[in-house]
Formats: sequence, structure tokens, C-alpha cells
Amino acid sequence: MKKAIFLSLIIVFTAAAALADTVTVITKENAIREYAKFFAPVKATVRYNDRLEALSMEGDWYKVKCGPSIGYIHRTAVEKRAVAASAAYSRKGSSVSQSEAALAGKGFNPQVEASYKRQHPEMRYNLVDSIERYPVADRDVAQFIVAGGLRQP
Amino acid sequence: MTKKCLVLLCAPLLLAALASCDTSSFGNISQHIGTAMTVVDQTSKASRPITDEEEYYVGRAVAAKILGSYQLTTNAQLTRYVNLIGRTVALNSDKPFTYGGYHFAILETNEINAFAAPGGTIFITSGMIRTTASEDELAAVLAHEVAHICKRDGIAAIKSARWTEALTVIGTTAARNYTSGEVSQLVSLFEGSIDDVFKTLVVNGYGRSQEYAADESAAQTLAKCGYDPRAILSFLKRLEQRSGSSGGGITATHPATTDRIENVSGKIPSTAQIHPRAIEARAARYGAAVR
Repeated sequence: MKKAIFLSLIIVFTAAAALADTVTVITKENAIREYAKFFAPVKATVRYNDRLEALSMEGDWYKVKCGPSIGYIHRTAVEKRAVAASAAYSRKGSSVSQSEAALAGKGFNPQVEASYKRQHPEMRYNLVDSIERYPVADRDVAQFIVAGGLRQP
Repeated sequence: MTKKCLVLLCAPLLLAALASCDTSSFGNISQHIGTAMTVVDQTSKASRPITDEEEYYVGRAVAAKILGSYQLTTNAQLTRYVNLIGRTVALNSDKPFTYGGYHFAILETNEINAFAAPGGTIFITSGMIRTTASEDELAAVLAHEVAHICKRDGIAAIKSARWTEALTVIGTTAARNYTSGEVSQLVSLFEGSIDDVFKTLVVNGYGRSQEYAADESAAQTLAKCGYDPRAILSFLKRLEQRSGSSGGGITATHPATTDRIENVSGKIPSTAQIHPRAIEARAARYGAAVR
């Protein structure tokens, strides 16, 4: 019995450590950068709810492993999710568990928006979509910053 | 109740479950841990805040409603300029990334105002842009709105009773897709939430402390960008001069400008002097885009 408790405690602590090293993407899309800067070259693209292995923290940036790539993602683009805990033990690889996917899509979601839009055709969602699609490239922002004598973030 | 507390409460259950296992059943231990953590998950979900994803959908609806009352500008050069300043400011804010990102749009009206729809879409009126006198002041206005998004001031306007009711509907199903009855309930609550935020943004305004905090945050963000943080002060002083001639707009939804000036005056961070060439470059591009 003592052996069982001892082993189980080891498993609990190991599991806790593993959880502490996982972060989940909370933006629709984001980039894993080569170094911890906003305009650093992009090594990989990640999407909402993707789970990344956090290797370390450098200032406001997590150093993460994403598939074969190692790079950086800003701390405000990810979160440590305790709710992912149950999934961490049941899944293999980095796919999203059903419970996470369910939570991610619950509440005010695209289904609710679609229904609301049908009831309110007067709402100018077409303009909102065009505002969201307005392209602002990273390199243009970087050039704008330099040309105006501003600081690189 | 915090998740940490829930984990502590569930820990004895977990250990009891583990203690009941014999050594041959360690293959099932992960299952036991998973079950115990699922209990924690489900309990904590019962009273969760609005997620960034949900905030995004509320913000889109609020933006769509605002666009029902105003026209978007057709000035492409000014739209590009405002977006470049806005993105620069957002990258230096407390929250450079939101679920759907930051977007900036100009409303064609003489009204002097700006709105931050939850999630990251920011509107500034052409009247407000004309009230500024420099790129640094325009950045100050945008930084103030970005601060409202970082602090989730718009989402905070949703009545807590409404969100609690929404959670009861959300909590009744484990599926991603709702039944038509549940969708109907949620749409009604969604609509109410949009009205709560819209009224706060356009009619009543945020609380005095929220506006003061946004001004202070704007000064900090300007300094981080390399803009002159005193621009928030010079803009407010100009706004005060104009407020006598302009009713409605920002003066109707914000605290008295004199009070805002008094509040932020002592909270401007000191920064290095801006290089004259930078001042010239910004003045030239501001002049080209705004005048």
C-alpha cells in the first residue's frame, strides 16, 4: 500500500509538472517567431486551442516547441489552462481533446452569431468583416516605426 | 471558488482513489487522475468569466451596431495611417494580442468621439482626428481606446445577472452545437449583452475611474512607443477648449475634461527627448494624411 501511495504521488507531481509546461493558444491565429520580438521571422503558424510545450520564459515571451519547430510566442497569445488537465492524461500527441474543443466553442459562438444575424439583417456585419480583413503587414508596421523614429517593441 | 481551491478539495478524493488501487492497476491511474480533474473542470466552468473568443463575438455585434449609425470613411490614405499608428500602439500595450486582433476604422462624422468595441475593433471619428494636432496626439487617442480593450471595460458593462443566466444555458450541454431552444435563449442573452455594451460605449460612457485609468495607461503606452507621453495632456487641453462649442460626442460620455487633465497631469512618465528628425518625419506624414 505504501508503495502504491508513493508511486501515485510521484505520478501526481510529474503530471503537475507536465501541465505547468503546456500553454494553449487563445488567439484565432498567431505565429511562432524565430526570436522573442514582434517582427522576428515566422517559423510556424498556430491556431486557437493549439497546445504548445513551453520550454522557458524570456521577458514577455514563451519559448515553445511546436511540432518540429522551436520558437517564441508572446505571453498574451497563450494561457495556461487548468481545464485542459483531464485531457492531458487521455490524449496522445498534441491534438485537442473533445472537452477542450467543447469549451472552446461554447457560449457566444459562431452558431449564436449566425442566428443573431438572421434575426437582425440590418446589422452591418459586412462592414465589420471588411474592417477585420483590412491588411496591415508586419513589415509595413516595422517600417512605419523606424521612419517615425519610434521604438521597436 | 478558484480552481486552486477546487484542486485542493479534490486532492483527498484523488489520493483515496489511488490508495484503493493495487500495484497492478497503475495502468488505470491516469484514468483516475483524469476523472478527478474532470470534476474540477466541470465545477470551475459553472462560474467562469467571458472568454476572449466570446468577447470577440460580442465586439463584432457591437461594431455592427455602431456601423448602423455611422458611415465609414472612404479616405484610404487616412485609414492606412490610423491603422499603422493603431498597430504600433497596440503592440506596446499591456495586451498586444486579442482573439481576433486589433482593427482600426474611421467614422465619417464631425462628432468628436472614439469607441472601443470589445475584442479589438476601434472606431475614431473624423471629427476626433481633426481635433488632434499631431501624430503623437492621434496616437494618444488610440492608446486610450486600446487601454479600454486591454482592461476589458466594454465587456465589464454586461450585467452580471445576464451572464450568470447565459452560463446556466451554456452549462446544460456538453456539445459544441446547441439545440434550437438553447440557441434561442443564448441569442436573447447575446442581444442583451450587446445592448449593455452599446449603451455604455455610445450613451452613458464608462465610469470615471475607468476613464482615468485609460488616460494613465495611454501615457505609459505612448512612452513605450517612443511618442511624447505629454501628448495625452496636450490633446485633452485642446479638447477642453473645443468642448464649449461641441455638445454630445465624447463630452457626453466622458468625465469632465478638466478632471481628466487634473488626474493625468501628475502621471506622465518622463522620457528621453525626441530627436528633431523624428518630430519632422511624424509631422510630415501627419500633415499628408490628416490635412
